[in-house]
Amino acid sequence: MTDHGTPSHRIVVCWKWVDLEGDARRAGVSAADEAALETALAMTASLDAPTAEVVVVTLGPPETDPVLRRALAAGAHRVVRIDASVDLPSDRVAAALAEAMNDELGGVDIVVCGDYSPDRGSGSVPAFLAAELGAAQALGLIQLTVDGRVDASGAPVVRALRRLDGGRREQLTVTTPAVLSVEGSVATLRRATLAAELAAKQATIDVVPGPRHAEQHADSIRPFRPRTRVVPAPEGQSALDRVRALTAAGATSAHGETVTLDPPDAAARIVSALHEWGYLES
Amino acid sequence: MSRRPEWPEISFQDRMDTTRFDVHERAHIVVDGDTCAGCTTRECVVACPANLFVPTSDGGIVFNYEQCFECGTCYLVCNREGAISWSYPDGGHGVVFRRT
Amino acid sequence: MTAEPVAVDVVVVGAGPAGSCAATALARRGHSVILLERGPFAGSKNMYGGVVYPRILDQLHPNWWEEVPIQRWITRRSTMVLTDSQAMTVDFRSQHWADPPYNGATAYRPDFDHWLAQKAEADGVQVVTSTTAVGLLRDEAGRIVGVRTDRPDGDLRASVVIACDGVNSFLAKEAGLFREHQTAADNYTVGVKETIALPRDVIEQRFGVRGREGVDIEILGGTGGVNGGGFVYTNLDTLGVGVVLKLPALAAQQQRPEEIIADLKAHPAIAPLVEGGEVVEYSAHLIPEAGRSMMPTLTTDGMLVAGDAASMCLAAGIWLEGVNFAMASGMYAGEATADALAAGDTSAPGLAGYERRLGDTFVLRDHDKLHRAPGLVLSDRVQHQYPQMIANVVERVFRVDNPQPKPGLRRIVREERKRAGIGIRDLARDAWTGLRSFG
Repeated sequence: MTDHGTPSHRIVVCWKWVDLEGDARRAGVSAADEAALETALAMTASLDAPTAEVVVVTLGPPETDPVLRRALAAGAHRVVRIDASVDLPSDRVAAALAEAMNDELGGVDIVVCGDYSPDRGSGSVPAFLAAELGAAQALGLIQLTVDGRVDASGAPVVRALRRLDGGRREQLTVTTPAVLSVEGSVATLRRATLAAELAAKQATIDVVPGPRHAEQHADSIRPFRPRTRVVPAPEGQSALDRVRALTAAGATSAHGETVTLDPPDAAARIVSALHEWGYLES
Repeated sequence: MSRRPEWPEISFQDRMDTTRFDVHERAHIVVDGDTCAGCTTRECVVACPANLFVPTSDGGIVFNYEQCFECGTCYLVCNREGAISWSYPDGGHGVVFRRT
Repeated sequence: MTAEPVAVDVVVVGAGPAGSCAATALARRGHSVILLERGPFAGSKNMYGGVVYPRILDQLHPNWWEEVPIQRWITRRSTMVLTDSQAMTVDFRSQHWADPPYNGATAYRPDFDHWLAQKAEADGVQVVTSTTAVGLLRDEAGRIVGVRTDRPDGDLRASVVIACDGVNSFLAKEAGLFREHQTAADNYTVGVKETIALPRDVIEQRFGVRGREGVDIEILGGTGGVNGGGFVYTNLDTLGVGVVLKLPALAAQQQRPEEIIADLKAHPAIAPLVEGGEVVEYSAHLIPEAGRSMMPTLTTDGMLVAGDAASMCLAAGIWLEGVNFAMASGMYAGEATADALAAGDTSAPGLAGYERRLGDTFVLRDHDKLHRAPGLVLSDRVQHQYPQMIANVVERVFRVDNPQPKPGLRRIVREERKRAGIGIRDLARDAWTGLRSFG
């Protein structure tokens, strides 16, 4: 592994590599992921910190490397590939990404993701990742900038713009650490220069082992079905009586009373009533 | 001769949709509408394998560059100097063949 | 910020079969080579009409057949003459072609070309994809010293440029290597093809082959009123079905290419082969059809031209070859360039070893020998009159017209020749041209 020194700021970009067609030559990342890298590169430029770096992290097999070299050619300072299957569930992906960020990169301030992948998954990795990192999250952004201002801890202040219903916009100031995701229309990834393209062919791709935990997954998932409740045989001479006993048809309900209480007291009263009537146990 | 096949033929758009195109925002072929407006022979309309040249009711030609095979037929059959400006799409874009 | 331009010994433009072989030959001689490809991967812009003959690879990649990504080895070769309602086929099968070193193979060009480029990369060539060469760089004296690419800071300087940029070769045109008549529409055909998926066992039953054996059917006639030809060939679980159409003839009538294919597929001789298949890819490409007469000047100061860019495609009726000519011309261009670099002279005379090698081998010898063949094959008589005449003759020979006695063959030929409107002098002249070309 190469010595990268200690950067003043580090922006991590997470890419999702997808092989939709079963042809590695055609596999790649989404326009949103590309926009995430371009946004990160633009952010480091406006940080006015010469040692700021952009690191691209992805999960995938060695076939992922050409895409990572494209990231290097476009300007990423370093790329990390977590050697793992790409079809892990989102929470496992997020855990693996967080682990790599903590172990390999020594923690992060700003993570930028695309808000969709080529296979149009659930888009939930950024949210899981924020939870794993204990970071703030601002997702589905249409603008993402840093203006050089820093907070008390020296971390850059992130300004973001998000869509709201009815064509309205919401301007956010996000504190770091933060996980941010951008739409594909935010930016177009710059074309690499010829020299950068050639250099990227020789560059090192850091590979870290994937999740070490044992695999576990559900073989089948069925809808929720309540367990059968055993009801004692009804008493009664005639069939009609037994049906009435079973269904309580025709009987006046003993339940039901109107009380006027403060909410906390009302809640306590409701719970005790449910106990009395046998809907709740113990 | 034009026989009818015994099995359903696919529509032209379905046919084109079997081939992949990574379309670039820049049109790599530009058609000069003024020159085409005076053209009566319109070789491009019948010859383009991707059917990209469409005559309009006012005598012009509408051209779509998106699903272009980049073959070059159009500029070779065109007999009007300068009507079709032809170049390759930007690197990495355009048609992507896989099973041909 | 303007960076110092990237510089290498040689830049090869186009990672098709010509470019990859040129780059490999140079890298083996220790030169720094950049191989530019405008597609996202080598082969992504390329299609063809069916068969690759890879024996020339013996010289660059011995035992190539052990790893080349082909579809089927051709063991059955048919030449078919079609009229509206008749078909005559000369069908040849050889099991000698089912074992190494084989003869020809069907392949997907995006796979074959990609493999060949990967071989070049393994030999030390730097393959740069998604990069279009948009023009030539020249020094003050006008000598070619590299290419300009469409990347930022995209100038690429090299002692020699090898243009393998395909049939439209804008680099050869920019360098002024073509004379005007050589790039006239008359010299080109357009190949249009459907890749049609069918289950593997269905293909093997319909075409009478097993395992990796395959069939190539070349068709004369069957292209409506347009001069050209058709083809049907087998991949593993798809067929290639298409037509080759002479450009001016195509543009002068009203039937579109896909309609001509549809008619070919509906012909009683073809329909049972393709029926029920699903089109999974549609493609088209130009073919430099006119052979020797449309070849540009092959060498200029600092630049060579190879492959389709140099019109090295043999379209001579019973022989339809291109990939082998591309691989060979590319390889010889690479070798000649290595010699020139070693001698320190990359001017046109310094690079003359290229044309000498081509002249000593099949590349130009086949083209010289067959220089009249393309014109003959695409002539109106061969296209429209002879197929009808031949089919009628054969039909009458095999027709049992009892109680009429069998007519003499000579009489049938004479009558059918007249019926097809073919003068005896034209027939004699074409026969003589054919003999001189093919004999």
